[in-house]
Amino acid sequence: MHKLNRAEALRYMGYGNNLPDEKMSLLIDKCEEQLLAAAEPKFVFAVFDKDKCPVSLKGKDIAEHLEKSEKVVLMAATLGAKADRLIRTAEIKEMAEAVILDALASTAIEQVCDNAEKEIHQSFADYFMTWRFSPGYGDFPIDIQGEFLKVLDAPKKIGLCANSSNILTPRKSVTAVIGLLKEKPEQKKSGCQSCNLKGTCQFRQKGERCGF
Amino acid sequence: MDFKTLLKKEFVFLDGGMGTELQKRGMEAGKSSEEMNSEHPEWVIDIMKSYINAGSDIVSANTFSSNRIKLEGTGRTVEQSVKLAFDCAKKAAEGTDTLIAIDVGPIGQLLEPTGTLTFEEAYDIFKEVIVAGKNNGADLVVIETMTDIYEVKAALLAAKENTDLPVLCYMTFEKSGRTFTGCSVPAMALVIEGIGADAIGVNCSLGPNDLYGVVEELIAWTDLPVVVKPNAGLPDPATGAYDIDAEMFAGYMKKYAEMGVKIFGGCCGTSPEYIKALIKALDGMEYAEIEAIIPPAVSSYAVTVDITQPRIIGERINPTGKKLFKEALKNNDIDYILGQAIDQVHAGADILDVNVGLPEINEKEMMVRVIKALQGVVDVPLQIDSTIPEVIEAGLRVYNGKPIVNSVNGEEKSLNTILPMVKKYGAAVVGLTLDENGIPKKAEERFAIAERIVNRAAEYGIRREDVYIDCLTLTASAEQAAVMETLKAVKMVKERLGVKTVLGVSNISFGLPNRELVNHNFLTMALTNGLDLPIINPNVASMTGAVRAYKLLANIDKNSVEYIANYSGDSTAPKAAAVKSDITLEYAIANGLKNDGARITGEMLQTVDPMEIINGHLIPALDKTGSEFETGKIFLPQLILSAGVAQACFDVIKAKLAKENNTPVSKGKVIVATVKGDIHDIGKNIVKTLLENYGYTVIDLGKDVPEQVVVDTAIKENVKLVGLSALMTTTLKAMEDTIKLLRENKVDCKIMVGGAVLTPEYAGKIGADFYSKDAKESVDIAKKVLG
Repeated sequence: MHKLNRAEALRYMGYGNNLPDEKMSLLIDKCEEQLLAAAEPKFVFAVFDKDKCPVSLKGKDIAEHLEKSEKVVLMAATLGAKADRLIRTAEIKEMAEAVILDALASTAIEQVCDNAEKEIHQSFADYFMTWRFSPGYGDFPIDIQGEFLKVLDAPKKIGLCANSSNILTPRKSVTAVIGLLKEKPEQKKSGCQSCNLKGTCQFRQKGERCGF
Repeated sequence: MDFKTLLKKEFVFLDGGMGTELQKRGMEAGKSSEEMNSEHPEWVIDIMKSYINAGSDIVSANTFSSNRIKLEGTGRTVEQSVKLAFDCAKKAAEGTDTLIAIDVGPIGQLLEPTGTLTFEEAYDIFKEVIVAGKNNGADLVVIETMTDIYEVKAALLAAKENTDLPVLCYMTFEKSGRTFTGCSVPAMALVIEGIGADAIGVNCSLGPNDLYGVVEELIAWTDLPVVVKPNAGLPDPATGAYDIDAEMFAGYMKKYAEMGVKIFGGCCGTSPEYIKALIKALDGMEYAEIEAIIPPAVSSYAVTVDITQPRIIGERINPTGKKLFKEALKNNDIDYILGQAIDQVHAGADILDVNVGLPEINEKEMMVRVIKALQGVVDVPLQIDSTIPEVIEAGLRVYNGKPIVNSVNGEEKSLNTILPMVKKYGAAVVGLTLDENGIPKKAEERFAIAERIVNRAAEYGIRREDVYIDCLTLTASAEQAAVMETLKAVKMVKERLGVKTVLGVSNISFGLPNRELVNHNFLTMALTNGLDLPIINPNVASMTGAVRAYKLLANIDKNSVEYIANYSGDSTAPKAAAVKSDITLEYAIANGLKNDGARITGEMLQTVDPMEIINGHLIPALDKTGSEFETGKIFLPQLILSAGVAQACFDVIKAKLAKENNTPVSKGKVIVATVKGDIHDIGKNIVKTLLENYGYTVIDLGKDVPEQVVVDTAIKENVKLVGLSALMTTTLKAMEDTIKLLRENKVDCKIMVGGAVLTPEYAGKIGADFYSKDAKESVDIAKKVLG
């Protein structure tokens, strides 16, 4: 990872479609440099026939998401512990930098997932892919996190664990389910409908999208 | 047969993979090897028997996942799981003298600070497994596949404190030469050998061809027998097949024997065939024992500081003579202490002294809290500084690395109490040259005490390299003649005892004007006389500079690399932007100019009343940025940047008021907390920053805060506004419970709630008084409630 999607990061910082001034841009550049130096992106995935997926895919939302899929991909990705540490340290001395780093790290982990998707796509070139659906979205329960990570052997392979509240640690991490299907999926990337935040989302209030 | 006898063999052989062998026999994906002890004990026995037949001297019972966290939901207790595994192992080893190890793998949850599991919980979890192993007849303990040295420490202490069994520790490294958590090889070696493991090594993650660098470094940093237990190369992502076969594996392993490795085995993908090939390949070779020359060094989990040249110990984490620091300790303001730590590291400290002694507080609890918090934000090694042995021990226990203990002295009681602790936890120690009779006047007498301390340390098995002698700085204004005696003693200790020396430098100038000048000169004199570890204020540029300049002049800093890196481009000319009349406080706040803000505040304080600065300048400037934020003219990072400037201004005011013994300015107390179960705290921290900058005293209870703690603190501190944050739908329940408990206890306070998953309606439903949509609004609420 050499460059982060700045527009995306600015959205996370609340800029919407506005641009930061020059001074702020320089500060964001500095933070991006620090974050890229600290990030140790890693991902792992496994592909199963839909009826043989060892993780129980409970809930109607995930069922709908995978409706036409033949196979399911379980993936997990993380930026590693150093990125967390960088943000934690910034929170003590320079909260503004922590806010910026946090947004950049959120952008970065999505890019890591994008890279994972590219790799998955290469191995399954004759399939289409659904978008990433994570535990905790809609009624897909977050308490499968531990089982999910175990199936992927994620603690050992990429150093990713969940704590007893099912929160992923290191913090800038993602687990997600992707469906592989033979026909092109409907462009249902209107993620808001399946998002828990749809009632309160600050992006939506401004008529924007978080990019999900 | 026991492990010690086994070590008399030329080489010792372990087993190979268990999980991959079980998969071969039909274990399904998603199943844990541990389940096979009950579902297919015949497989487990068969695999272990094959390893024994192949020539393994030690086999691990199938207990890698037998801890209570990983067993959750299986219906088996740790005791049951371990017993099942040992039933298999004993059957397999029947009639042989093969040793059986209780195999201890990672817990499966990350420890603090990256995760949320505490060190104490980790210790308990490991203790349970290891004691079960002992009860089932384990011959030794194997702690393996670890990526976090803190987790290893918990397991190793659990083994040492609850059994007499030999302990072998292996960690898992990436190609970068570090583990996932950033642990380096020297850090691993210093901690594991320090606490007293019987063998140390690497396993899993990579093939034998990729671990030479790591193992070479390890051999250079340890005197323990070294273990290598690699994978059979890397697995094919599609088929899971490993790419190094038994013959290749054995070929690679021969080189480790030449390098000085004593104990060999295989991990994932290796089978009995690999062990057979390995034993055959090493047949006829001799153990290439190498005596490592380990430099004097201390270490955090990631950063090792060798004391082969002067290193700066930062002295600022110490309440002595510091009003604000004392206040911070009394108010549990850990962030203040962390700020002091970060400043010192930026200024050039190599090691930080940590002293939190204050009569009014529980020093032991505070030491533990502060060390845990410090190791979450700074990477430099720490020096645990207390006069109370229990405090030192508590600090040693939770420190994630090899620290320095400050201090032991020549008194019998001190030697007998402190040195065993230093040995047990594998620390280094500062030895003060004083005893029952006080501080001797003459250098020779101090030397004699130093010698006694070094000898006594050796009796306890503490390496000479781990004792740093402090010849004691006396105050020049009171005992002028003593200054040269101290320096003479430093020189004697350094030359005749050959140990490292340490001195608290700043004490020299107490009571004199222009202290910096005296400190600076004394430091240079001491360095020339052989001082290795000056304890100084690194934030004073001339002090840190003196050490750097000394290293350059003494030909330690070769080609002046460190010096130039720190000072090239440095100009003593005043910075152009900071011309006095250029800017106002309001301008500094609006533009995020922290240093200017602090400077202007300092200047204003000479003529303007502090409250006038706050109410007439700071607050209006903040209000302006606040309303610009609300109207979308500026955005969150700018708002917070301005808040940071205001904070710097407040700090200047607070420091002045503290100096004049005035009570600190406060508009009232606010509790902020991220509720139980939730660890998302950046939002809460943003709220904290903003509230503080409006002059409120914020009691930050942190994240994952139990309901009762919120209630107790609100009552004890008589707090009128409580702010609760939750970021997950799953933790909203904890928020509701906290509010309920506050109401049940009739705590006279208002409650505001915030967080991405909340709505104003939901906030009302769970009984909150206010819903705060962002940090700015929390300030508006505080104004409403507290004025």
